[in-house]
Amino acid sequence: MKRLFLILLGMIFLSGFSQAFAQDWDKIVKKAKGQTVYFNAWGGSQPINEYIRWAGEQVQKKYKVRVIHVKATDIGDVVSRILVEKAAKKNKNGSVDLMWINGENFKAMKENKLLYGPFSQELPNYRLVDTENKKTVLYDFTVPVDNMESPWGMAQLVFLYNTKNMATHPESMSDLLLFARNHPGRFTYPAIPAFHGTTFIKQALYELIKDPRVLDHPVVLPDFEKNTRPLWDFLDKLHPFLWRKGKTFPASGSQMLSLLNDNEIFISLSFNPNSASNAIENGELPDTIRTYIHTTGTIGNSHFVAIPFNSSAREGAMVFANFLLSPMAQARKADPKIWGDPTVLDTRKLKGRDKALFDAVPKGIATLTPKELGRVLPEPHVSWVDALEKEWLKRYSK
Amino acid sequence: MAHLKGQGKTFIFPVFIMGSFCITILAGLLGTLLPSLNYLPVIGHTQISLKPWLDFFSYPGIKTSIRVTLFSGLATSFGVVSLAFLFISFFYGNALWKFFEKILSPVLSIPHAAFAIGFGFLIAPSGWLVRMVSPGMTGFVYPPDWVFLNDPEGVSLAIGLVIKEFPFLIMVAMGALGQLEIEKTILAGKALGYQKEQVWLKILIPRLYPHLRLSIFAIIAYSLSVVDMAIILGPSSPPTLAVLILKWFNDPDVNFKLMAAAGSLFLFSMVGLSILFVFFMERAVCFFLRFRITNGKRRSFPARFKSIVFFMVAGIIFFTGAASVVLVIWSVTWRWQFPDVFPIVWTLKLWAKGLASSFDPVMTTVITGMASAFIGLVLTIGCLEHDADSKKNQTLNYNTYIHYFLYLPLLIPQITFMAGIQLSLVILGMDGYWITLVWSHLLFVLPYMFISLSATYRAYDTRFTDQAMLLKRSYPSVLFRVKLPMLLKPVLFSFAIGFCVSVAQYIPTMLVGAGRFSTITTQVVNLASGSDRRAIAVYALIQQSLAMIIYAVAVISPKILYYNKKGMQV
Repeated sequence: MKRLFLILLGMIFLSGFSQAFAQDWDKIVKKAKGQTVYFNAWGGSQPINEYIRWAGEQVQKKYKVRVIHVKATDIGDVVSRILVEKAAKKNKNGSVDLMWINGENFKAMKENKLLYGPFSQELPNYRLVDTENKKTVLYDFTVPVDNMESPWGMAQLVFLYNTKNMATHPESMSDLLLFARNHPGRFTYPAIPAFHGTTFIKQALYELIKDPRVLDHPVVLPDFEKNTRPLWDFLDKLHPFLWRKGKTFPASGSQMLSLLNDNEIFISLSFNPNSASNAIENGELPDTIRTYIHTTGTIGNSHFVAIPFNSSAREGAMVFANFLLSPMAQARKADPKIWGDPTVLDTRKLKGRDKALFDAVPKGIATLTPKELGRVLPEPHVSWVDALEKEWLKRYSK
Repeated sequence: MAHLKGQGKTFIFPVFIMGSFCITILAGLLGTLLPSLNYLPVIGHTQISLKPWLDFFSYPGIKTSIRVTLFSGLATSFGVVSLAFLFISFFYGNALWKFFEKILSPVLSIPHAAFAIGFGFLIAPSGWLVRMVSPGMTGFVYPPDWVFLNDPEGVSLAIGLVIKEFPFLIMVAMGALGQLEIEKTILAGKALGYQKEQVWLKILIPRLYPHLRLSIFAIIAYSLSVVDMAIILGPSSPPTLAVLILKWFNDPDVNFKLMAAAGSLFLFSMVGLSILFVFFMERAVCFFLRFRITNGKRRSFPARFKSIVFFMVAGIIFFTGAASVVLVIWSVTWRWQFPDVFPIVWTLKLWAKGLASSFDPVMTTVITGMASAFIGLVLTIGCLEHDADSKKNQTLNYNTYIHYFLYLPLLIPQITFMAGIQLSLVILGMDGYWITLVWSHLLFVLPYMFISLSATYRAYDTRFTDQAMLLKRSYPSVLFRVKLPMLLKPVLFSFAIGFCVSVAQYIPTMLVGAGRFSTITTQVVNLASGSDRRAIAVYALIQQSLAMIIYAVAVISPKILYYNKKGMQV
């Protein structure tokens, strides 16, 4: 009895201290051993699913952490579930241990205090992350990350086109309008509020707005109408020349890829600069597809993994998040034959074998060089998303 | 005659079902009603108000969404019912009918999402049908820009739904038709100079209708609240109401949940009002068309009518078959582009990958499906035995109202009460368990099993059991050694239906299973959110083959077991 009391006392002692001091990584690894991590991530792509399975096998071998990929159709669904768990005061043993997340979902999780952390600074591989040049790993859609999520990959809006159907490609939104006029029905974008659709109108706004600097700040409603006027004028002109005359829109970015393959549309868009190369590699697209960006540069961001507040396998989740940041995992992810998701690491910081891993990554057939990808435009302040979506729905979803 | 030992206690089955269904669904509805009134303490909403409702009605495009939902839902229901009645009247018992009977099981086993994907690819402007005639006959080097699929009015969705729901209604009708004395009635009618179709319309259909009523209501509810087919075939801006509500439920902005709750109750009321409308239509038809039955007219059907019905049913068979064929082709495709009629590069890679990674989900699906179908079977037989018992002893029959409880899960849109059930389960700490997952599947499995088994079970000639009781006098052994073996075929068939219904569940599996149980259906839906038709096809075919295997077992095993007992094979 006395011993039990001492053990309990010790446990209380320890838990109190673990809050105060940074946890020793070795201890985390030790604790993680034998844990099962339910990793909730979008499951719509076979190459990504296979990559996650590979990563899970690696941490099972190295750290005895079992990773189960819970495939979600929409990560907002997972946010819902965690919210319900909080409503029911389920403060431990939550159903999610780690999730793939960014943008609005992260904002919602952070605001509702559904996240565990800060934790990413404790991951040994985090110091390899390029926080200097890749600012979006610190500001997720302008929301400060505050180490509440760990970076996983980079994204930048690129356009896909079939060189067999067109010799040249547009270089700006006004070019795109011209293209649409000359090729009625051969361009479209996903219905708002689908993620890729929203990105497209944000990009258009960037290119058309008089003073793009206002996008860095929260929306000022009285000026919204004036600031966004050029965007709606542009869309009003564009829509009659869109696929299905703008009467209907594809439901998602994924559907755009099928439409491109079916030759229904000639220009599609993606948030992964390597997705065309990857799709060519696995037969989803013909090898005549190439990518391009607008001369102004295009919007880019990062995606992350985060641990919910009620995870029962935090240590395991951290070990897995750390592995995902390792040069080995990041280099494999960047390979267009595997997935082609750009790394968050600063490859210049790497040496020896780690550097060789990245040097060995082949450049995809349809991938632009970092130089060609050029300037990455930051996401507008997160409040713009809601305002733009509402206005778009009001105008075009009647 | 006294209650048989054991059989007298069977009343617990219907009582259990009614009680547990009632509690589960009430908990679910409460979990939706409170948020719709702005009450969701976890996100700081404790002030009861109508704001979610006002938000709902002022959402951009909501009127169009409601209109499209109503149109596609009601057009589907009207189309299915009228086509079914005409089909029965014109073709009952002839070659087309018998052919349809033969293909019914495999047709019913095709999952909705799989069919929708195949059908969508058939009719798209870049789809298989256009590819077959392009560029040769059409001159299309590029697909035409027709608003065909995903049309804003929901026409393609309604057509897809009619094709998928028609066989279901025919299946229910086949069960019920066995109870009507069709041959005799037609013979008597013909003797009085009536055309066969007239006999059907005036005598048989009015007698058939009550047997189909609840199934028709279920079709109305389903077509108004369908999600997976509506995403694939329906419009996108705005989508149908059910799709919109699901999006809101999944929105990271938690305030959308309140609006989603209000919207899902509105959808529920749309279903309720539509059913009420049909209910009054029934009365009106009875009242206004009664004189037509007795007006003595003996022939009034032009033959042209018959050929239209023929072509429509043939179309349903064609599209269902072609949708499956096209999935098979996609599953072995590497590259396939417009306007090629067939893929230019074929491969088995996708199958190799798919089979390797689908083993666990398939096991979960099979075990869950078997468990729910088995429990469903025990409960259904228990209820029907109580039926037999109370009929024999003229005692209180608890089954009288069981239909209304059993049908509740089919008549209330899934999204209206499943989200509430999830909340209740999490509060009770019971989410994410396999057993609660099985229970959530049973809510949908049980009604279908009951529908499919009750007619034949009730028609069982009790003289067999009476005779056996005289010889043996042990109720359980008579039940298990005489009655159930004689009913083996319908029992297995109902088991197969239960299994397939369980296989098809997506929303309950995700919500109640806390995402921890991945079934073949959750995999299909996940992949369907991506772009790779080939991978989707592989998984959809695996899903479909599970259903087909179980149907095949249900049809073939009585033939093998009773190979030397011809009379038992029916």
